[in-house]
Amino acid sequence: MVDKSKAGRFISKIIGWRMWIQAAFLVVWLDPAGLRLHTMCSPVFHCYACPLAMFACPIGVIAQFGALHVFPFIAVGLLITVGALFGTLICGWACPFGFLQDLTAKVPTPKFDLPKFTGYLRYVVLIVTVLAVPYFFGEEHPLFVCRVCPAGALEAAVPTMAGQAIAGEDIAWPSVLKLTILVLFLIAIFFIRRPWCRLLCPLGAIFSLFNRVSAFFLRFDTDKCTHCEKCHKLCEYGIEPEKTPNDLRCIRCLECTKCSPNALNLGSIFENSKGGDTDNH
Amino acid sequence: MVNKNTKILVFGLLVLLGAALLGYGAFFHSTTVSAQQDGQPVLLAKSETALIKDASVSGVKRDESGKIKQTYEVGEKPPETCST
Repeated sequence: MVDKSKAGRFISKIIGWRMWIQAAFLVVWLDPAGLRLHTMCSPVFHCYACPLAMFACPIGVIAQFGALHVFPFIAVGLLITVGALFGTLICGWACPFGFLQDLTAKVPTPKFDLPKFTGYLRYVVLIVTVLAVPYFFGEEHPLFVCRVCPAGALEAAVPTMAGQAIAGEDIAWPSVLKLTILVLFLIAIFFIRRPWCRLLCPLGAIFSLFNRVSAFFLRFDTDKCTHCEKCHKLCEYGIEPEKTPNDLRCIRCLECTKCSPNALNLGSIFENSKGGDTDNH
Repeated sequence: MVNKNTKILVFGLLVLLGAALLGYGAFFHSTTVSAQQDGQPVLLAKSETALIKDASVSGVKRDESGKIKQTYEVGEKPPETCST
């Protein structure tokens, strides 16, 4: 049997504060001191063309460097390091675009679930719009990730257009495709929980690949599980945590760790565990 | 099930790889970029951090010959917004 780990005990104390922690991270990404450190990437999905962006977006950098045929050492190095440490904990606790979707999910509208296979669309987006299109066709191609990204449209294009309108300048409209995706995204966030993260996010796709090898992971204790399936109800993303605790679609919101038999909790590879646990590593 | 030591080894290798790439990119990697200075072509060795900043505002493009070109003259201010 596995006792609750140090990380698990800490998480159970702060899990109720997740939204506040996301808000605290948001303050960091929004660059309140106006530092504009665009020479470095952050590990989250936040467009660097946003007037309030402290760091460069790693996905934008990978795509732009792909178009230049230059290997993005900093962006890839950062994603490997952060992914190896935290996996998708970043998505659930630090990403500002995820936070926006979590906030809108609070609006009491009917929520629809997504079929399991849709989780794999993110890898198609990653391979096509972030890697292949930039490398083979350059940044002018309409499927270049920044040209279709709803985060770019919402955080950069909309404020820029508003600024141009207020200043009485000609408005530089983004492409019809980008605007359509933005409108669909703004509708979807009220009816599907985290539609961008679960369907299309290329950064989440990268971090999810680390879920099975990251230093922090979701530990399932088979001895404690009473098969009550409460964790199925706690998980808002249609995952069955006791079957696949480190599922590729998991954003590690850690809501499932609230299950009363304590069969699921956050573990780390540095802690000792005796038999009875399954972590799918 | 994979044992604990293997997990720590995989984690350690990934962190080492990530840190090595990050360190190389931040401190050693540079790219040759052609630019214009007073109407004359010049070659610049841009560090990766400078290239990230330029790429984020469409300040560099790859032309048909495969060369990376700076879209603004040396000494001028780079574009303020991303072209996408």
